[in-house]
Parts: sequence; structure tokens; C-alpha cells
Amino acid sequence: MTAVGPVAPVEGAAAGVGLRHGLRQLGSPRWRKRNLTFDRISFFAVFLVVPLAAYIAFVVSPFVQAAYFSLTSWTGFSADIPFVGLSNYTKLLDDDIFLKAVGNSVVLALVLPTVTLVLAMFFATLVTVGGSSRGNVRGLAGSSFYRIVSFFPYVVPAIVIGLIWSQIYDPNSGLLNGILTKVGLDQFQSFAWLGEVGTAKLAVMFVIVWGLVGFYLVLFIAAIKGIPAEVFEAARVDGAGRFRSTISITIPLVRDNIQTAYIYMGILALDAFVYMAALEPGGGPENSTLVISQRLFTTAFTQGQFGYACAMGVVLAVITLAYAGLVFLVIRLTGGRDEVAE
Amino acid sequence: MNNPVPTLRSFDRRNFLRGGLAAAALAATGGLAGCATSGTGSTTPSNTATGAASADNPFGLAANSSTEAVIFKGGYGIEYAEFAGKAMQTKNAGSTVKVSPATNIAQTLQPRFVAGNPPDVIDNSGAGLIGINTIRDQLADLTDVINANNYEGTKIADTLYPGVTAPGTFDGKFVQLNYVLTVYALWYSASLFEQNGWTVPKTYDEMYELGGQAKAKGKYLLGWGKEAATYYQTMAIASAIKQGGNDVRLALENLKPDCWSMPAVQSVFTGLKKIIDAGYVKPGGAGTVFTAAQAQWSNDEDFLLYPSGGWIENEMKDQTKDGFKMTGAPEPTVDSSSAMPWEALHSTAGEGYIVPAQGKNVAGGKEFLRAMLSKDAATNFAKTTFSSSIVKGLIPEDGFGSTALQSQVKMLDAAGTNVFTWNFVDLYGTNTDQLVLWNTFLQGGSDVATLTKGLQSITDKIAADDSVKKVPVS
Repeated sequence: MTAVGPVAPVEGAAAGVGLRHGLRQLGSPRWRKRNLTFDRISFFAVFLVVPLAAYIAFVVSPFVQAAYFSLTSWTGFSADIPFVGLSNYTKLLDDDIFLKAVGNSVVLALVLPTVTLVLAMFFATLVTVGGSSRGNVRGLAGSSFYRIVSFFPYVVPAIVIGLIWSQIYDPNSGLLNGILTKVGLDQFQSFAWLGEVGTAKLAVMFVIVWGLVGFYLVLFIAAIKGIPAEVFEAARVDGAGRFRSTISITIPLVRDNIQTAYIYMGILALDAFVYMAALEPGGGPENSTLVISQRLFTTAFTQGQFGYACAMGVVLAVITLAYAGLVFLVIRLTGGRDEVAE
Repeated sequence: MNNPVPTLRSFDRRNFLRGGLAAAALAATGGLAGCATSGTGSTTPSNTATGAASADNPFGLAANSSTEAVIFKGGYGIEYAEFAGKAMQTKNAGSTVKVSPATNIAQTLQPRFVAGNPPDVIDNSGAGLIGINTIRDQLADLTDVINANNYEGTKIADTLYPGVTAPGTFDGKFVQLNYVLTVYALWYSASLFEQNGWTVPKTYDEMYELGGQAKAKGKYLLGWGKEAATYYQTMAIASAIKQGGNDVRLALENLKPDCWSMPAVQSVFTGLKKIIDAGYVKPGGAGTVFTAAQAQWSNDEDFLLYPSGGWIENEMKDQTKDGFKMTGAPEPTVDSSSAMPWEALHSTAGEGYIVPAQGKNVAGGKEFLRAMLSKDAATNFAKTTFSSSIVKGLIPEDGFGSTALQSQVKMLDAAGTNVFTWNFVDLYGTNTDQLVLWNTFLQGGSDVATLTKGLQSITDKIAADDSVKKVPVS
């Protein structure tokens, strides 16, 4: 009876019946001795201490420092760091431009993941299981070609994508207005896609979706390929169409991938700095595309208010954590993993 | 018996990690304390390397010392600074000068300022410059540089254009030597104007009329790019100062309530609004990269006039139509009864050189500036960049073959002492916020009242912010 505990005392373990060899060793003096061998110590050092130290030095410590600096009026260019308590945060609440940036970032975080992932899921279904309904379950004809082509934008660095699209959107010599006016839509003559309040946000969101949909497409394809084809075949035999298979089979079975993708994409949308720096370096018309990270950068480096900028960073971090928490909660509430038999 | 035993003994992985995290948190707090204070130890200047000062060595540059210069690499390149560095090495045999380029001054040098080991001399310029208001307490006073003799033996102060030390003087302390003389003007193609028999407009009404004539030729009067919409703010402020006199400048500089509602400012805005509403401004600027917009002017001749600084010729060198004859004219006034004549000029010295007081070799930094202000280096600068340094009398009649440079010298001569400038936009870093308003205004999306209200709220916000040090101007 004493032997049932996994780390039972030595005597008990020795007398135990039916215990596996390895478990007994855990509690034995030999194990304790091996604890101190060079192998073990070096193992701990390499795989635990070094990564932990790096993590503390490069992740935890900057976080803590930023949180501290957010309570100061540090200019960023001197060793003089006056402590001012929470006044940076009260200032943030009255800063209409910052609040506008928060609003824009939140809109991006809500819209971008949804649009990107719905599109990616749609295409992934088409190229994996959306093909002919006769014979084996397969994707559309030429699906491997689409798969490769759709991944192209992701291979191009974000800053380059931004620069390419800022040329395409150019009001007078850009490709987009060139095509639109050529087909007779003369109202787009000199139309500033990135300069009109009504279109700027949509235009930048389109670019971000365009740049990333290929990556999530590949992610979802890999996940869907992991589902046994028999499941789809069985569903088909039962009379399920493509849409029904997607809703009832594909999405529940790749739920974990969707959750991960949603969080990644949301974090990217809350940042969005690179795309904005290339497309709308000034924050866009009436600041309609200004995001928190851009405002933070300007505040720190051109206005020399690092303390205030750190407070913005802390707010951004809190929003990001809240966002991740929300996604977990929604996934949990809508069924979570228990719906899938494992 | 089952339960208590494992609990007592289980120093398992999970708990080990928890302990690790707690230790990490403690370590981080300790590290933070170390970090926040690490800089303070080194605030005392470490510039022990000084030699004996003499007429030939006015700042006491130590023998065989080394000087580090970080130069903004933009439109002017860094070759002119390397030239000055070589001149300094020749003059002070044994000393070495290291000139290195940087494009983002604030990001590159911020850690070095915090650590207390900044370079000895910095060209603090470009879009990523360090706001001078942020660091001016940490800079060496440069008065002794302009009081020293140049390498030819003349007192430097006597060789400079008048008023060039003003933009680098804050609260009576001269801490920033702006090396390049920048003339702000309304630029046009002399050849295009000649062909069409157009004359340069001197008031906003004349500008409006010219807009009609341009339209008849299928051209626009003005144009802009999204990053440079505030060039029109620069022109508007200059026009308002000429119209209303010095009081306008002082009200804006000192962030006075309702300063943007002054009659002179309002009449300029109204004049511009009339031109915008008439459709004389090339549409689409709010979505156009500014260099592309400038090429529409200098290469395609889509529009006639462009307000900018004298750097425009160098900036558009590769994208200017042959025979364009780029020429500058002073900014228009509202009418002929203006407080200053039309010839009055917005001109200032730009490209701010600073010498951090904490640098290892402050004397070296100053000596570098002395070399730059001497005849050889200053002439070399004008010749290679088609721009004037603040050292006067070095540009020949033919402007080294540049019509823009010729016209700059002409405008400066015509203006005489009617030369003015202002600092508040750069000083308080408000350009980014103002850009947004000007893009909307230029594309016809807002009226004069909205523009005024927006600009005033930016000004009021700075004025009310106690954490921003103000520089009173009189």
C-alpha cells in the first residue's frame, strides 16, 4: 500500500509490488547521487540556467524597466530620471491623439485576424478538400500551384510590401488608379487612397491581409492535411456538402491552430508598425491610420519623452494581454477542445 | 499516507520552475535598480585630455588626441565633413579625427547620451534628429568657437552671415552651430515662366490669378506630397510674419493663446483657401510620396510653384528637367501694405552641429567646427553641395553653375537685414501633428476655421504641458 505513491520512501519502494523499475529508481539513493553528477549539472546549466538567464536579461528585465520608466519623466537622453508617479497615465487619458491611436489599433485587432483567417480557411479548404466530389477527397485542380503562389507575399519582407503598395496606391502614377481610369472610372483620377479619411484605413488593412493570408493558408493546409481523409469521406457518404464539412468537420478539428493563428495575427495587428511606417508614416489623414506603436515611436524619439512613451508601451502590452485572454475565453466558451474526441 | 508523503517530498519540476521565476523576479528588480542608477555615476565630464590653450590652439586641444564626429548622412553626404576632418588633422599634426555617418541620429546616439559617452561632435539633423530641447542642458557653449580665429587668422564671427547664431541660441546660451545657410522660398522654373510670359506672384491675389493662367495651359499652380504638407505651413507662417510684422512671429514662438487667429495669419489662410477651392492645387498630394510630388513639379512641370528650402535643387538633382532653371522667389505677402517688404526673407541656418559637454574630447569637437568654418572646408562645402554654408562671400557670381544658388545669393542681398526665422515647430516637435491638418486642408477637406482650431489646439497642448521646457523668445 505504501508503494502506490510515485515518490514513496525508499523502504516502501523496495518492498513494493508491481512498481515499474524507473519509478523505484526515482526514490532511491542512487538517484540522489546522480543528481550531482557533472552530466546533470551541465545539463541544467545549458538547458535551464542559460535560457532562463537570457530570458530574464532580454525579456523580463526590459519589461520591468519599461514599467518603471513609465512612472518617470525621463527624456531618454540623460541619466537624470525624475520619478513622477502615475502622472503619465493620467496624461494619456487626456491625450486625444493617443486615444485615437488606441481606437485604430483596436479596430485593426478586431478586423484583421477575422478577415485574414476566414480568407485563409476558405482557400485552405478549397485547395485541400474542396475539389471534385467524385473519387478521392482532394483539392481543386492546380491546387499546388495556388498554394505556392499564395505564399509569395509572405516571402517578401513587410517593409518592402509596404513600399510596393505605396507606389501602387500613388494617386497620379499608381497602378491602381491607372487601371481604374483605364476602364472608365474617371472619378479615380488622382484619387488619394492613402490620403482620404474614407479609404486610408481600408487600404492599409487590405495590404496587411494581402501580405499575410498566404502564411495562414499554409498553416491551415498543414492542419487540414492532418485530418484523416476517411472522416471527410464518411461525411460525404452521409450527404454533407463542402460548406457543411468545413463547418462541422474541418473547423472543429483544427480549432487549436485557429486559436494560435488568431493570437499571432492579433498581436501583429496591434503592432502593425512596419506596414504603417511604409504606407502612412504620418499617421494618415486625420490620424485615421495612426497606431499605438507609431505614436510611441514619435513620442520617444522626436519629442524626447521616453517616460511618456513607456507608459504608452505598457498600455499596449496590457491591451495585447487582454486580447489574448479574450481569444482564449471565446475559444473556451464556444466549445473548446473537449468537443473533439481525441 | 498516500497524500502527505509526496507533498512533503515533491520538489518537482513545476515547483522548481516556480522558484526559478520568483528568483527571476527578484533578480530583475535588483537589476533594475542597478540600471536606473548606472548612468548617474558617469555624469561628471571625463574630458581630461586638454592641452595648453594658445592663439593657434584656442581650445587647448591635447597633442595626439583623437576626436569622434558623427555626421548625419542625408542630402549633403558626409564627404564635406571628412574634408574638414582632414584639414583639422593637417593643422594639428598627430591628432586623429574619426568621421562616421548616421542616418537616424536620435536612435543611434540615445544610448550613448544615457551612458555619458557621446561623440565629441554631432551633426544633429535629418528626420530622426534629437529634439534640441531634450538635450540642450548637456551641450557645451560654442561662443568661444566663433570668437576664435579661423585657419586663415580671421575671427570666425566676422566671416559669418548675420543672425546665423540665433537659431542655435537658447535662453542666451549658444549651443548649436547651424552650418548650412538655408533660404526658404517659392521655387519655379525660370525658363517655363519666360516661355509663357508669366511673372512671379508677390501676393496671394496674384498667385490666384496665375493659377487661372496655369489652368488655361492645363497645369496646376501648386502641389504637395504627404510627408511635406507642412512646407505650406512654413510658407504661410513666413507670409503672415511679413504681413503682420514681428509681433506675429513672437506670438507664435511663445505659444500665445489664439496666436493662429491673428488677422495676418488668417488672411494668409484665406488666400490659400481661395486657391485650393478654385482647384489650382494638384489633387492627390495626401497620398503621394513627397519626392514623387516634387518630381511632378521639377520633371513633369505639372504645377508651377513649390515652397521649399534651398536644399530642393540638390534633392531633385536627378529628377529635374533639362533647362529647368530652378529659381527662388521670396514668399508672397497678403497685399502691398505689408509690415515687411516682399523682399524680406525667411532664412535660417540649418544642419545643427553640437558638442556634448560630456564628450571625451570637447576641445576636439570645437576644433573640428573651427576647421569646418575655415575657408577651405567652407568653400569645398559650397562647391560640392551647391549650398551655402554660414561663411559668407565664398560663392562666385555664377553660383558654381547653379541657378538656384545664384538666386539664393541674390535674394539674401535684396533682403538685407529683413531676414527672419522661427523655431517653435522644430523645438517642440509638433510637425508630425501639424502635417495631418495640412494634408486635409490642402486637399480641400477642411476650412480655415478647422485648420486654425487644430493648429491652436496643438499649440495650447504644448503650452499647457509642464513637462515640456519652454524657450521664451523676444
